[in-house]
Amino acid sequence: MEKISVKVCLGTTCFVMGSANLQELMEIVPAKYGDKVDVCGVPCLGLCSVDWEFSKAPYVKVDDEIIKDATTEKVLSAIDAKLEKK
Amino acid sequence: MFIDIDCNQLKKYNQNAFGDYFVSKRYPDEAKLIAVLSDGLGSGIKANILSCMTATMLLRFVENSQIPIKHAAEIVMNSLPVCKVRKISYSTFSVIDVNDEGDAKIIEEGNPEFLWIKNNEVMTPSYESIPSKTFKNRCMKSYKIHLELGDRLIFCSDGVTQCGLGNSRLKLGLRREGLIQLVLAKLAEEPDISSSDLSAYIVRQAKNIETDRNPKDDISACVLYCREPRVSLVFTGPPFLQKKDAEYAQMFRDFKGKKAICGGTTANLISRELNIPITMDKAISVGKLPSCSYMDGVDLVTEGILTLTQALEYLESGQTTGIDNAAGKLVEFLLDSDCINFMVGAKLNQAHYNPALPIEIEIRKNIIKKMAVVLQDKYFKKVNVQYM
Repeated sequence: MEKISVKVCLGTTCFVMGSANLQELMEIVPAKYGDKVDVCGVPCLGLCSVDWEFSKAPYVKVDDEIIKDATTEKVLSAIDAKLEKK
Repeated sequence: MFIDIDCNQLKKYNQNAFGDYFVSKRYPDEAKLIAVLSDGLGSGIKANILSCMTATMLLRFVENSQIPIKHAAEIVMNSLPVCKVRKISYSTFSVIDVNDEGDAKIIEEGNPEFLWIKNNEVMTPSYESIPSKTFKNRCMKSYKIHLELGDRLIFCSDGVTQCGLGNSRLKLGLRREGLIQLVLAKLAEEPDISSSDLSAYIVRQAKNIETDRNPKDDISACVLYCREPRVSLVFTGPPFLQKKDAEYAQMFRDFKGKKAICGGTTANLISRELNIPITMDKAISVGKLPSCSYMDGVDLVTEGILTLTQALEYLESGQTTGIDNAAGKLVEFLLDSDCINFMVGAKLNQAHYNPALPIEIEIRKNIIKKMAVVLQDKYFKKVNVQYM
């Protein structure tokens, strides 16, 4: 089975809007899902400059799905949904 | 050729102000540097004011080639008031004006003779004596010398040459001979020592020689070192016109020297154009900043505005070592360079104007402008800023 990839945007906007608080994903995800899910930071997903009027930072990408206003709970439930489908 | 200059000082024992004053300024447009070291008579606040006035006035006279250096020094020598207590001029000074080709003009009045070290030997340059027209006991020395790669000049206040005066080992103090021995031994040990380290070493040694390690006078050592410049490039922000991305990315690739990228979007841009993958640290944040990423052939990749702002704060406060975050790494990167080129993208990210964002998010151009000033004025770097 292919791993699910979780990308946390660490661009300026996302970082100040809350991705700094997603650090806990780095511990929770491997503990909960083992090696089925790979979580890492990326310099910038480039989404805030497209979507700025709605101010939906921070962004996290779970495979191809974009999570707006990301929180740890939202990311975890997105991962769960993906795993169920597989 | 780059001239690495730095000065280290110690206050006289029990004083709370420096009695020696060092000031230096680079003029990138004229490719030259002017530095003045002045020693005010007495110590503490009084000496501080005297030396500060002499040094800053001299610098002001000489800069922009307003008055030729010899003439400016003569004016100062002839007009320095006489100290009431000691009946001699109330401050001494050394001025140096050197360009990037190595042509140096040096004037000394009252300070210990400078050392010119070439290939581990002390040179004895010829000089012209210019006696004062108004005071019989004043005479300045004017040198015109040519420096080459690897040469060093060492200026110091008499606090260095007279340290240890009267103690059992050095009855007459360290003197010039002692200083030469000290410096040559250090150079044999560390031939590429930076000006900052060498001047700190001289000052430390002078303090150790003093009885009870209490300086009896203000101690200053200023070192100039001619060497190949360490060049670096900081690429931050995407170019205003997106169609120019490829062109600027090529410039980044072709740059010879150390390279840093500050900005997530910018890193993606370079990665895309030059086809270099980005990998990230396993941590999201270190301290209050996003962690660094890594790219082959790039020495440092950080987030943009937050890291730059924090780095600027560190540079301004002078706290530059032992910082464990991305801004600390950036500061280290900058201070390890002599000539720093900034390529600054002028494109704005409208998301940064979201009122929900903290007010500290500043415009990139402003941060870089402030950073260039600090690097130039406080850390004596050569800075070049290019907007794109």
